[in-house]
Amino acid sequence: MPQTPCTACSGALPADGAYCPWCGASRSGGGSLRSDVDDGWHRFLERCWNFFASTRVGSILIALLAVASVAGSLVEQEGLYQDWRPPELYYPVRYGPFWGPLFMKLGLTHAYSSVWYIALVLLLVISLTVASLNRLIPLQRMLRRPQVYKLPHFLRRQDFVEEVDLSLHGLAAALKRRGYRVLTDRESLYADKGVISRYGPYVIHAGLLIVCAAAFAKAVPGWEQGHDIWVADGQTVVVPGTDFAITSHRFTLELYPNGMPARYATEASIVQEGREVLRDTIEVNRPLSYKGWEVYQVSWREEPGTAHIHVLADGIERPLATLAVDLRQPEREYPITDRLSMVVEAYYHDFMPDPETGSPVNGSFEVRNPVLLVHFLDKSLEKVVGRAGLMVFSQEEAPYEGLLRLAVDRVDTRRYTALRVQRDRTVPIMYFGLAVMMLGMAQTFFFHHWQIWAREDDGRLLVGAQAHRNRFGLKRELDRLLAMKGKEV
Amino acid sequence: MTPAVPWLVIAAQWLLGGAFVGYLAATVLSISGYLGSRISHGLHFTRATAWAEIAQGLGLLLHLLAILARWRGAGHWPTSNMYEFIGFLAFSSMLAFFIIQRIYQLPLLGALVGPVGLFLMAYSYVFPPKVQPLVPALQTIWMPLHVGMAALGEGFFAVAFGAALLYLLRVRGLELAEPEGEGGPSLPKMAGGAEAAVSLAPVQHAWEETWGRRGLEILFYVMAVLVGFVVLALPLRYLGFEWIFSTATYHLPPIIGPALEPVGSKGNLFGVIPMPLVAAPLAMRGKHLNTLLYSLAVGGLLYGIIRRFVARGPVSDFLARRVTGDPDLLDEISYRAVAIGYPIFTLGGLVFAMIWAKQAWMRYWSWDPKETWALIAWLVYSAYLHLRITRGWEGRRSAWIAVLGFGVVLFTLVGVNLLIVGLHSYAGGD
Repeated sequence: MPQTPCTACSGALPADGAYCPWCGASRSGGGSLRSDVDDGWHRFLERCWNFFASTRVGSILIALLAVASVAGSLVEQEGLYQDWRPPELYYPVRYGPFWGPLFMKLGLTHAYSSVWYIALVLLLVISLTVASLNRLIPLQRMLRRPQVYKLPHFLRRQDFVEEVDLSLHGLAAALKRRGYRVLTDRESLYADKGVISRYGPYVIHAGLLIVCAAAFAKAVPGWEQGHDIWVADGQTVVVPGTDFAITSHRFTLELYPNGMPARYATEASIVQEGREVLRDTIEVNRPLSYKGWEVYQVSWREEPGTAHIHVLADGIERPLATLAVDLRQPEREYPITDRLSMVVEAYYHDFMPDPETGSPVNGSFEVRNPVLLVHFLDKSLEKVVGRAGLMVFSQEEAPYEGLLRLAVDRVDTRRYTALRVQRDRTVPIMYFGLAVMMLGMAQTFFFHHWQIWAREDDGRLLVGAQAHRNRFGLKRELDRLLAMKGKEV
Repeated sequence: MTPAVPWLVIAAQWLLGGAFVGYLAATVLSISGYLGSRISHGLHFTRATAWAEIAQGLGLLLHLLAILARWRGAGHWPTSNMYEFIGFLAFSSMLAFFIIQRIYQLPLLGALVGPVGLFLMAYSYVFPPKVQPLVPALQTIWMPLHVGMAALGEGFFAVAFGAALLYLLRVRGLELAEPEGEGGPSLPKMAGGAEAAVSLAPVQHAWEETWGRRGLEILFYVMAVLVGFVVLALPLRYLGFEWIFSTATYHLPPIIGPALEPVGSKGNLFGVIPMPLVAAPLAMRGKHLNTLLYSLAVGGLLYGIIRRFVARGPVSDFLARRVTGDPDLLDEISYRAVAIGYPIFTLGGLVFAMIWAKQAWMRYWSWDPKETWALIAWLVYSAYLHLRITRGWEGRRSAWIAVLGFGVVLFTLVGVNLLIVGLHSYAGGD
């Protein structure tokens, strides 16, 4: 029988089968897009189609994606590095002045959203779609109405060939009992089982396409939103971009005896229009859900919260008053008595003399070295009666002018919980895609397609069997089938 | 930190030791049974293979009991740190092997997969076995689900690796047995005696043949390096040698010191070689480079000794001549193992991981290096499955991909932790 070469890859085509076994393209070179119009444009489309339909190209694309993914894992990605500096400052430091900017230029620092990576994924998406469509239609045709009548040489070319002394009828009955679909045509028989597994890969591909769609859908504006908020114990913070606020009643930190963290939890409430609508505990692995938004326990912080400060007068032992000063945001004026009040002239939460000018500045964002500068005001006389300064955590005597001075009684720590409020509309799509994919995998790998042909010639039965997967199992099945049948006859 | 039930944890250690002995016995019996049956032409040694199966089953049972004991003893499913996880991976490899063996019953398989399981168990001992309480991120049902299922899938990939390696050796053996002239029969004849198949066989390029051979030798060298690492690390850890730097504690004499460390700061090795001899480059971890250097050296020594005195020639050729059987069957076993492991790994290693990530870290995928490498492993096995239906890629080429895939899996589990820090850095382990 003359063997025509495959027009896509020039490999030798066997006498039977819908595709070229070398490259997977549809045989007869036309793909399922066989064009009668023989002009350049149609030919070009055909070749594009066949290119993407080939399993070889698909496999290579998969391999390329694997290799491309390696690059991003070796270079610290922009979203993942732990440093306060923005990428333009961070990478030249991390990888040096040559490699740093080069990695950024090549897109390696955001490898998985770079042009070349996205392009590869898109090519794979095209390949998935084209290859699946290309194979599914002829496959369906072939499996729905298989060609039952086959000549002996066809049977002899299968994985397993047996010649037995059984009747076609008997074999058909035995196969039917074992759950095969059996079709007969004159002296030929065709039986198969597990056809469902042949459609499995296309279900997997469909699932993967949905997964890719979900991943790309993240780019739709507004579909993925997140806000980080810090909430102090007892504080209520409005979540930007939403119509509700979150109150943290208490953040709890529990440690194991060896110092490792055992539990992070925030007792929180959702507040909408002034009313509490939900109250629950937010923990790692147990986020709070509200109207499509999810609130996660991310981190925590502790800092000096409220300083209880004594106002003392010379010669009097007991303090005139004890003022509660919030070290994040002190008030402007604190009344001491009906006539006397303390006015805050200047406050630094982290006092530090500027290294160049010497003038006072805040060294950091944290409340580390709070310094208070006040004057005392006689309200009825509208006269300043003294000034004082206080370095809250200093052991030295606080300086003062006049009769009044300040001293620290105690400082309460304030705990902040870091919560992330997030809404991602692509998640249900992603989960759906994954579910479809897993269903397809169960369908593909749990079942296997076995085909058996038989011909009755001159009283003998020629049996040819083919396994699409699990060839060894088919052998055992055949042994059992034909031996068993022998016993019954 | 005292575990919930301390005596159970100790019992688990003993059961684990028993499992190790069981696997060791099974491997030895398997190898001797196989070799013996070759020498005696099938007589007298079939009982060895029967005993091998019993030893394997016993070892598996003891290992399962060890896992359950540690579970109850520690208060959490034992896959929370490197020691527990690698041990569980060894269990799942042996379990996968047991399942595959019940289907195919090939004694030869035990000779190669057994050592893989033993290696994994030995490797787990390199890590500190102490029970560590779970940090908040691990306190969820997803921890055993994701980690356990991923390990199960990886166990099947380990079996596929063993079968693929045997296949490569067998095909090489056939090549060696055949005289010159066929132009490299990389495709064995199909079971149905299909003549047409031979004419469809691909032309094997000359470079493929040489690199196929070299590749096998390189693979054996790499395996010697891995074994060498374990051989080094285990005694030195238990002997307690330490060289303490400000940034790391070494358990092996520091030849490559931490970055910026001056030469010879820790004295001289044998009075001659300054420790460290050289400092690691800035972006890398000196301790791991140092361990790598030693592993390469010891591996090279092991490989060299085996090559010189045992194999007297390329190790792969030596083994290839002693492997028998139908290469088609080995190929099918490899494929079947991947076909079972792939959906399990996808579900456990990717899907469950994504669901857990969403719950713990807000996003189902962050391109963290470990996540990325799990994806790469998945892609490699996807490529394997697709290339098998492209004729011309069955046989040797896909066997190599099965080998590569397991290498990627090992890198995902160990290499990523060593080289890169990320969200996954719970597993304490150096």
